[in-house]
Amino acid sequence: MATVAPGQTAQSRPKRRRGPGLLTAILVLPAALWYALLLVAPLVIVFIFSFGIRAKNGGYAPAFVLDNYARAVQKSEPFILSLEMAIFGTIGCLLVALPLAYFIATRARRRKGLLILLLVIPFWTSFLIRTYAWLLILGPDLGLAGLLQGLTGADKIQILGTPIAVMIGLIYGYLPLMIFPLYVTLERMDRTLVEASKDLGAGRWATFRQVTLPVALPGLVTGSILVFIPMMGEYVIPQILGYGRTYLMGNALVTDFLEARNWPQGSARAVFLIVVMIVTIAGYVWFVNRGRTTRDVSVL
Amino acid sequence: MADQDLDAMLARMGGARMSRRGFLRAAGLGSAAAALAACTGSGGASTSPSTAPSVAPSTGGSSEAPSTAPTPAPSYTIEKALYMYNWAQYISPKNIDAFKAQFGVTKFQYDVYDNNDALLAKLQAGATGYDICSPTAEFVPGMVEQGFVQKLDKTRIPNLANIDPVFKGLWWDPNDEYLIPKDYGTTGILYRSSMLPSIPASWKDFYQLVKGPASGKTVFVDSMGDVFVFPLKMLGFSANSVDHDELEQARTVLLDVAPHLLALDSNTYGTKMAKGEASLALGWTGVLEQQMSKVKDKGYVVPSDGTIFWLDTWVLLTGAPDPNASYAWLNFIQDPAVQAEESNYNLYATPNDKARPLVDPAVLNNTAIFPTEEQVKALEGSKDTSGNTQRLDIYEEFKQNIGKA
Amino acid sequence: MTAPAIVASVDRTRLPASRPRGDRWGPLVEGYFRAHAWIVYLFLYLPIFVVILFAFNSATVATADWEGFSFRWFGIALDDDVVQTTLANSFIIAIPNAILATAFGTMAALGLQRVGKRVRGAFDVLTYMSVIVPEIVIALATLVMFATSFDTLNKWFGIKLSLGYPTVIAAHVLFNLSLVLLLVRARLSGMDRTFVEASADLFATPWRTFVQITFPQLLPAIVAGFLLSFTFSFDDYVITTFVSGPGSSTLPLFIFGQVKRGVTPETNAVATMMLAVTMALLLVGQLVLTWQSRRAGRRSAVTMVEIVTER
Repeated sequence: MATVAPGQTAQSRPKRRRGPGLLTAILVLPAALWYALLLVAPLVIVFIFSFGIRAKNGGYAPAFVLDNYARAVQKSEPFILSLEMAIFGTIGCLLVALPLAYFIATRARRRKGLLILLLVIPFWTSFLIRTYAWLLILGPDLGLAGLLQGLTGADKIQILGTPIAVMIGLIYGYLPLMIFPLYVTLERMDRTLVEASKDLGAGRWATFRQVTLPVALPGLVTGSILVFIPMMGEYVIPQILGYGRTYLMGNALVTDFLEARNWPQGSARAVFLIVVMIVTIAGYVWFVNRGRTTRDVSVL
Repeated sequence: MADQDLDAMLARMGGARMSRRGFLRAAGLGSAAAALAACTGSGGASTSPSTAPSVAPSTGGSSEAPSTAPTPAPSYTIEKALYMYNWAQYISPKNIDAFKAQFGVTKFQYDVYDNNDALLAKLQAGATGYDICSPTAEFVPGMVEQGFVQKLDKTRIPNLANIDPVFKGLWWDPNDEYLIPKDYGTTGILYRSSMLPSIPASWKDFYQLVKGPASGKTVFVDSMGDVFVFPLKMLGFSANSVDHDELEQARTVLLDVAPHLLALDSNTYGTKMAKGEASLALGWTGVLEQQMSKVKDKGYVVPSDGTIFWLDTWVLLTGAPDPNASYAWLNFIQDPAVQAEESNYNLYATPNDKARPLVDPAVLNNTAIFPTEEQVKALEGSKDTSGNTQRLDIYEEFKQNIGKA
Repeated sequence: MTAPAIVASVDRTRLPASRPRGDRWGPLVEGYFRAHAWIVYLFLYLPIFVVILFAFNSATVATADWEGFSFRWFGIALDDDVVQTTLANSFIIAIPNAILATAFGTMAALGLQRVGKRVRGAFDVLTYMSVIVPEIVIALATLVMFATSFDTLNKWFGIKLSLGYPTVIAAHVLFNLSLVLLLVRARLSGMDRTFVEASADLFATPWRTFVQITFPQLLPAIVAGFLLSFTFSFDDYVITTFVSGPGSSTLPLFIFGQVKRGVTPETNAVATMMLAVTMALLLVGQLVLTWQSRRAGRRSAVTMVEIVTER
């Protein structure tokens, strides 16, 4: 339906300011509502709890103390261990995901949809039995450890319970979260740019660095954040594949909330984690954005 | 198959309706939570006027010798549903079917939790809609205090008389008003004799083995209360001690063994032993049959220097939507034949005296499952010490040092 | 981008990879990509093969050694009411969750393009928060939130709100809508605006522009978001444990519950059957596609064979 007034051409039509209007409000409303009710409200509760004390039988009793925060900061070893694990895990995920995402986005052509689907199908089986399957795969006897033992004649090779097993489990579990953002960004990349770059004599690496990477950057940032953050709270995979030998942030939270049933303590630890994470991410996004003249990656 | 001595009780139940009592639940959350309303059960069918005829039993089986014959009680209409919140697969399906057939309960909803703390957290945060759950005994006093559990009308549960008096009047329910024992077991030492030079008989032996031949091959269950049993009992203290010095000494022991542990695992430690990764464990008896059934040289020891016993219980939750069906269940489950079937299925000891003779002999004679009388006398009931900060700190420190060379 | 808008019929993303003169590394790099892809897929499916294999294990424990070939766990699974209910519940929760999350996330992503920096910044923070908060914390806090608000609402309005499907779906949608939001925005940023502008120049209404230009370009992100939302909801354990009510237990709850007694191969059997159904659906879908394109007379119908082999 033409909206051009008689006498106007398209060029001369005054550009309507695309400021927020009713449509925008409607578009944003459901998400805003959800955030308000199911994120902000619970977080306010957590915040309130963090200043309380443990009720006699566990739970929350109203109070206003800062002890919980003092303890949270004091007992920061789980936090640091989680940080280590999350950083390595994210890098590992990235190394595995990036070539694959690039492959599917640019080389797969008609099979794209299928390949993407095949990525998620394994996750429609239960997390627990997948992880238990890894116990079998990496374990003694029938598993990898047994195999290596037999091949090398060593006394005992133990893979399960080591950081390697945990890393395998992490990469396995978080791969889709890394691949999908990379894929959706790479997929819309304009290949003619790559062609042009090559025609102009740039080598593969230079093309990658100057053409592909900047385009992929939003996806990369999204992917690493989507993987890094949950990994900070991850504890089940380290518990099963790592034999519970590392005491991570997730373990600490479960101990606080479930074993000690000290909700205020757990809440304080959680708030501490959240604040540090937000600062970290803000820093990360700022770092990625400096020197970029095109639109902010924070828009993502 | 379950002979019922409930014929008498059922004959008393006519078609008259009993008015639902409303229950107010005290807020366990202080100012952050409003007082919780009553009866927000999501599925109870009991509100509708029931025109069910008197629930006469379809099986005319011979009844066991009835317990004390109470005065004729008012007739109750049994609701068509029962909402059970329990550990996974903790009730024999045969018993569930028998119950449903017996009482005309068509919907037996069985939802699952996997640890007491999660159950408690959910109740504390305000979850409702369940009739019965099975907390471990030491959690019940707290639940009662917070108003999650109803007082039981014992006249409706004549089968309570079948329960071994040893389990009555204990600290967690001195007047036996809130809980009914379900089954019990111990925390002890699991071992594989072919992988060890000697069989441990006490926590002291255990300590030596962990640091020696079983170093790097020992698993502890990930449970604070159970882990503390080992050092405290070894040092001659109460397993529930919250004394500062005693706990400090326990800490030394725990930190001493931590580097020698292979894993902290409550769920698959049996498999680890079955595969030969571990030769020693601090844990419970469940995995002996579930994960180590093919292992020939397995063994379980109730340590001579003492240990705790755990007791799982039945409680009736406040605001239960189906109180009549619940009472029917609570009484039904303590019928000796039903209990025997439970023991056979769960492989845990039943506290029901009359049921014991009916239990499968292979199970009955297994001292891991049914400890001997003297062993039972020496057991300590466990207490909920989860609020003790010192214990928590020690436990966290212990966890952080596992496997560290 | 200052190049003039190219005729829209050329699909820019699909130009053949022309090999510049003197590119000796080409085949090596291509080979690497292909090998990497194969290895990753093998890596992804290795545990799945193990899961399927051990569904036929006659042993009682899923993590035990192989004891013999048996179909019995399939029989048990098909017979098991609890498994069937929880499986059904998992779908009942995951599908609406995926639909809502995808819809809300996409709408928000589009809407956020048009709002001011402050609002967008606030949304950014909220989106990240929803991902940052550890599951157990948000699970417990959400439960408290539900419980207290239901109390109040029930008292004021005499209704009977309680935990159940809606609460689980609502809790899942929160995380998943953030996921979709991030995916769609990642796609939107740097999306070729020239088409949109061209469309406007050609007098198309915003709606038509959306339907014919924007939406198709966003489709991969939307589909990806839908798939991930479904997957995460289906597999979720922590949040579901806390905010589900009587009768709304899902499959993960059942499986984790089994852990105390020992996870039996019944779980493997269920997983295997689900995979079989999924693969069957895929196959059917593929056949339908092929049949359709054959009918339309198109020369190159995509067949399963082509998909499997390298063309």
